[in-house]
Amino acid sequence: MNADFITNIGLTHYLVLSAILFAMGMAGVLLRRNVLVLLMSIELMLNSVNLTFIAFSKFLGILDGHIMVFFVMTIAAAEAAVGLALAVSIFKRFNEVNIRFFEHLKG
Amino acid sequence: MTADAFLFWFLAIVTLGSGLMVILQKNPIYSALSLAMTMVGMAALFVTLNAFFIAGVQLIVYAGAVMVLFTMVIMLFDLKQDIQAFTRGKLSGILKIASVGLLAGLVVGAIAMSVGLLTEKTTDNPVLVGNGMETTKALGQILYTKYIFGFEALGVLLLVIAVGAVALSRSKGGTHER
Repeated sequence: MNADFITNIGLTHYLVLSAILFAMGMAGVLLRRNVLVLLMSIELMLNSVNLTFIAFSKFLGILDGHIMVFFVMTIAAAEAAVGLALAVSIFKRFNEVNIRFFEHLKG
Repeated sequence: MTADAFLFWFLAIVTLGSGLMVILQKNPIYSALSLAMTMVGMAALFVTLNAFFIAGVQLIVYAGAVMVLFTMVIMLFDLKQDIQAFTRGKLSGILKIASVGLLAGLVVGAIAMSVGLLTEKTTDNPVLVGNGMETTKALGQILYTKYIFGFEALGVLLLVIAVGAVALSRSKGGTHER
């Protein structure tokens, strides 16, 4: 922890930050049992990947990363919509949104 | 300590703290609130990276639309405190946390190894030119020329998703129909 690490913000800082956020989202997916919190953790992971794209885009001077973030955002919103619709239909049947009810899915 | 560095550390602490709250809160509505906070912090981080347009889209799509969707569904369910918010089993829990730690260590190690391999582009950088207008203009130009097929495909995907979400929420329990 020298002074240069604290004052000189570079690509590494953003990459490590997004890696930690991604690990947090993964921990949420593995440890939580509520479907809604699971979906929120997935959003967290997608967002940390977006941060990586933007950081690389700035530090390498390639604008294509911004386009990728655009696509990822759209797909994340679509995924949230479908996931929540699934959660609603699970809730209608079992009156709870615990992930263990997904074990009963068949057909 | 310059303003840039202070801003980064402040936003990093806010984002990481609220991100941690997302997975630690037992009540889903508090998780949603923390997620909104994380999204706002992330948008501010995008501003520090000169991605002004993406920051605006982030605020509108995530902190606006997606969070409203989550909050509405939580209110619809009328969830109380989760009785069993976390997974059972000490051994599997330890294994899961260990695997997450392993992944984080792997990624951070890879980043630390690759420091200096990529040279930062300071001259003629399309992201850094001008005061934000030029970047947004260039973004629109490549979105509608180089990536026009992906853009159209996204439109089709959104249509399919809209129809699919309506069809899913209208079904009465699917295969478990009584």
